Order: sequence, then structure tokens, then C-alpha cells
Amino acid sequence: MQSTSSLVSVENVNRVFAMDHNGVKALDDVSLRVDSGDFLAISGPSGSGKSTLLNLIGCIDRPTSGCIRIDGTDTSTLSAVQTSRLRREKIGFVFQTFNLIPVFTAAENVEYPLLVQQISARERRTRVAAALESVGLAERANHRPDLLSGGERQRVAVARAIVHRPALVLADEPTANLDTRNATQLIDLMRDLNRSLGLTFIFSTHDQRLLEQTARIVRLTDGRIASDNQGESHGQVLAACVS
Amino acid sequence: MGKFLLLAFRNVFRNRRRTLMTLLMVGGGVAGLLLVGGFFAFMFRGLRESTIRNGLGHIQIFTAEHFTRDEVHVLDTGIAQWQQVEQRVRSVDHVRGVAPRIEFYGMLSNGVKSSVFMGSAVNPKTESEMGFNPNIVSGRDLNATSDGEVEALVGAGVARSMSVKVGDGLTILAVTADGALNGLDVQIVGIVNTGIKDLDERYLRISLPSAQRLLQTDRVTNVVVGLDRTANTDAVAAALTPRLQGLSQQMAMRKWIDLAAYYKQVRTLFSGIFVFLGAIVFFMVLMASVNTLLMAMFERTREIGTMLAMGTPRRWIVALFMLEAALTGLLGAAVGLIGGNLLGMGLNASGLNLPPPPGSTFNLPFRVLHVPELMVGVSIMIMVSLALASILPAIRASRLPIAEALAHV
Repeated sequence: MQSTSSLVSVENVNRVFAMDHNGVKALDDVSLRVDSGDFLAISGPSGSGKSTLLNLIGCIDRPTSGCIRIDGTDTSTLSAVQTSRLRREKIGFVFQTFNLIPVFTAAENVEYPLLVQQISARERRTRVAAALESVGLAERANHRPDLLSGGERQRVAVARAIVHRPALVLADEPTANLDTRNATQLIDLMRDLNRSLGLTFIFSTHDQRLLEQTARIVRLTDGRIASDNQGESHGQVLAACVS
Repeated sequence: MGKFLLLAFRNVFRNRRRTLMTLLMVGGGVAGLLLVGGFFAFMFRGLRESTIRNGLGHIQIFTAEHFTRDEVHVLDTGIAQWQQVEQRVRSVDHVRGVAPRIEFYGMLSNGVKSSVFMGSAVNPKTESEMGFNPNIVSGRDLNATSDGEVEALVGAGVARSMSVKVGDGLTILAVTADGALNGLDVQIVGIVNTGIKDLDERYLRISLPSAQRLLQTDRVTNVVVGLDRTANTDAVAAALTPRLQGLSQQMAMRKWIDLAAYYKQVRTLFSGIFVFLGAIVFFMVLMASVNTLLMAMFERTREIGTMLAMGTPRRWIVALFMLEAALTGLLGAAVGLIGGNLLGMGLNASGLNLPPPPGSTFNLPFRVLHVPELMVGVSIMIMVSLALASILPAIRASRLPIAEALAHV
């Protein structure tokens, strides 16, 4: 019953990569629930399975076993086309290396998810302007990514991730390529969007500045959930992540 | 769609140096085909018009019997009411002239040596008016109003083998319509070079009345129709059909293309060569383009992964790559059209000549025609070919596992 009420429900998920005869187990019996409006960090050392878990939640990879539900939909039952539609409509992505389309301007990059959803040109213009305004880049709308700073590019990426009003935004190490000032701005931005729009954020990070702003931290170790501070003290989990 | 097209267009110019090389390669292929095709078109046109102007005419009228049985006696399948035929043909639009002719064979002799000839008897004035002027290298054309000696033109090969020149006499012998042998003394007034060596060695031309006297007949073999433009052939042929009804003999028409066997052979041969060359050029362009497209796909792996992660349908990725390839083809074709036409103009201005082809005694001018159909055809083919060549890289791009593509460095 709980799984149907959660925005994201990960149940006993395993992910094994066939890299040698035995395979490499990236995730080992992971279960997790994320409610709408959560601001959740997945932390852990390199190779602990953070990106794999995000990929599975983002439906860009499939678990070896177990079940993932997004907004009540069991993703294992979806065809490739249905999965693509689910990502298009319900999920926004922010990548560590920004992954903007270099030949598009900032506005065109933000517009892209709306193009894919075949939303009318007028509606696209309105939403793109609002999204860029919300990340403070309205005046940089017509600049191409190579003319933007790293922080600006990541804010464009955030605008692109939220422009189609997804239920869930996934961010893989969003501050990893940013300096302190830009990282802080991005963290503040994500936090503001979470609070003001009620957007659900799940992100992987090592960044202590980001972790300090995060109410809920899931710590992965060797593909297993070592801790989830749901109901625990934030300080204890934060201390464990830092150590 | 507009943004998608914009994305494809900008992607084409993402790596400018590589795009420039691709456009030069595609453009080079297009230009090469235009030059070869344009030269062949010039050759075809030249051969067509020279074939027509050398006396074939645009339309020839015979009796229907001419095609259904062999002659028992000379000209027994010839046209008896040829003046009426001529009169009816002249009333049709686009007809520039009508020339009755007799084709005949026989022997000619200089008193010491004999040789076989292929003779044609014409009305010199009419032939001249229709532009059917023999290429006289020495002397003059037949005089239409000559009352004295029977005048004759002979081929350069005949003159050489019979050791005769302008002003000399020859005796021609032929079988009459009654089956008897008849002779006629002629005076050579001109030496002709037809451009075809074998024909030069048999060529003889005299006036129509002289030939009728020699052959003891008032018939002609055929009536040759000359038009203002070759393009009007079909229209005039259609108009002539009803006009040739109701004569004592049933008539049959042949258009120049039906009679120009050599032209058709040459055209078939060179069209085959052009298709073969075209296939080679397209194959080379395609292979090089596939390589370029695969490189582009490899370089953009993470970007494609991002687009797929954002829910872009995989068929859109296929369409994007095909669109980029087609745009490359379009731009390459434009480069080729401009380059090919400029090069063609330069070659035309240079006045280059090629050595005489086999069987000919004239140099072949190197000229390139600008053929719009060829330009459109080659451009469309190159665009479609590039789009098709992009299918493999496009499908590979669309099938990339998203997680792997996003991790691509």
C-alpha cells in the first residue's frame, strides 16, 4: 500500500553488470521510498552504486531484479516507448557535465523537452521564459553554452529539467564541476525550487555543502543502503558521509 | 519541426573543417557527373543534329511496301505520286522543306579502274534550302539548273581511289527499272568529306532528274522532311498521318530516331558508361559520407544519450541523422552545381578539341552543355543517397543504451 502512495518506490532492487564470469553487483537488494516534495541526497563513496540507482529511478536502465514504481507505475511492465514517454513527462535530468546541446542557445536548450512533448510554440515561449527567469538567466537566453560559465550552464540544465513541470528531478553529482560560489548558488536554487514549487529532487553527491542543506540523506556502501536518515538524526548520517 | 531542422542544420556545421571536406567531396562528385553528363549531352546533340543535317532529315516518307518486301526491280517500291506527297507535306506547320530523293547503287569507272558506289540523287536547290549541305572540301555543290554535263559530287575516298579531281569525268553504271544496264557520263564538280571514312569511299551524289534518266523511272525512293526544330518532330508526324491518306500507294513514315541506328548505338553506349561512372562516384561519396556520419555519431554519443534520456523518441534520432545527411547532400549538390557549371563554362571558353573519334575525320570539340534535368536528377540522387547512407549510423545512434551513452567520454 505504501508503494502506491510514494512518488518513487524502489523494492528489493538488484543490478548486476556482466563484466566478468560472475558479474559485478552494483546494487544489492536496495529498497527505498521517496515521497512527493522530498529533497533527497544519495551519498556514498565512488563505486557505491549512486549513479546506478539514479539511472534505475530515471528509467534509463533496468534492474536485474526487483521493482521500481514511479508515481504508482511499475516500470518493469513498460515498453521502451512507454518508458520514453514516462521520462519525457515525469522526470527531469541534471547531469554532472551539464550535457547541454552545444549548437542550441540557452533558451533553445530549455525549450527542448517541450519540443519533444510537442507543446505549441506560444506555450513553449512562455514556459522557457519563466524557467530561465526562475534560475536567474533571463538575460543570457540567447547565449550558446560555450559562452556561459560552468555555473550558468548548470543553471540552464536545471531550467531544462524543470521546464516541463516534471514530478521528479534527478541530478547526478550536480555540483561536481562547479566552484564553491557556483555550487552554493546551485544548491540554493535547487532548494528554492523544492520549497517554492514542491518539486521532488533526488541527487547523488559527495558535496558536504549540499548534504548540509539536505534533510534526507541515503548513504550507499558497496551497493547496499548503509543508512537512511528517515527518522534518524541528520547529524549522525552527515558525520558518516563525511567520514 | 522548424527547431528540429535548425538543430540538423547547425549540427551539419558543428565541425566546419570536416563539413567543408565533405561538401567538397560531395560537390566534386556532383560536378564530375555534371561535366561528364554535360559533355555526353553535347555529343548526343551534336551527333543528332549532324545526323539530321547530313541528310537524314527529321521525318522520311516511304511507301508502306518499302518495309514489307524487297525490290524486284529498281524503285518498284518507290513513291510514284511524290509531287502530291510533297505538296501535302508542305502545308503542315513547322515544315521547313521537303526533299524527294533516290537512293541507288552501281559501279563507277574512270576508264581504267572501277569501283562500287552508294549514290543519292537530290534536288540541290531544295537540299540547300533545307540546310542539307554536303561538306565540300574541293569544288562546289551541284548546280540545280545545269543544262550541260551531268554534274556529280564524289567522296574524298572515291576521288583518292579513282585518282580523280574536280573537273574530271567518270562513268556511272546502274541497273534501270526495267532491269537493263544503263550508263551515264558525269563531271566531278566537288569532293565531299562526310566525316565517315567508309562512306567517303562510296559516296556519289547527282541531281534527281539525272538519276531518273539513268534509272529510267519517274519514281523516288523517299521524301525527306526537314523541320524548323527537332523538338517538333512528334507533332509534325502526328499532323502528317491523316494528310498521307488517300493516295494510290499506302505511305509509311519514319522519324529520324527510327532511322538513326548509329546515333542510338552511340547514345546507348555512352549512357551505359555514364551510369557506370555515376555508380562509381556515388559509391565513393557514400562510403566517405558513411564514415563521416559514423564519426559524428561517435562524437555525439553523450549528447544522443541526453536526448534519449529526456524522452526523445528513437525515431526522432534516426530522422535527425538522416536530415543532417540530406542537408549535407543538398549543400554538397549546391557546391557541385556551382562548381560544375563554372568549370563547364571555363572549359567551353577554352575551345578544347578532342582527337577524331574512330570512323570520323573531324576533331571533336570539347563542350559541356548545362542540362537542367541532369542537375536536378544528380542533386536529388545525391541527397537521397546520403540520406540512405545515414540509415546505418542513424539506427546505431538511436539504439545506444542510454546509461552507457551518458557515461561516454
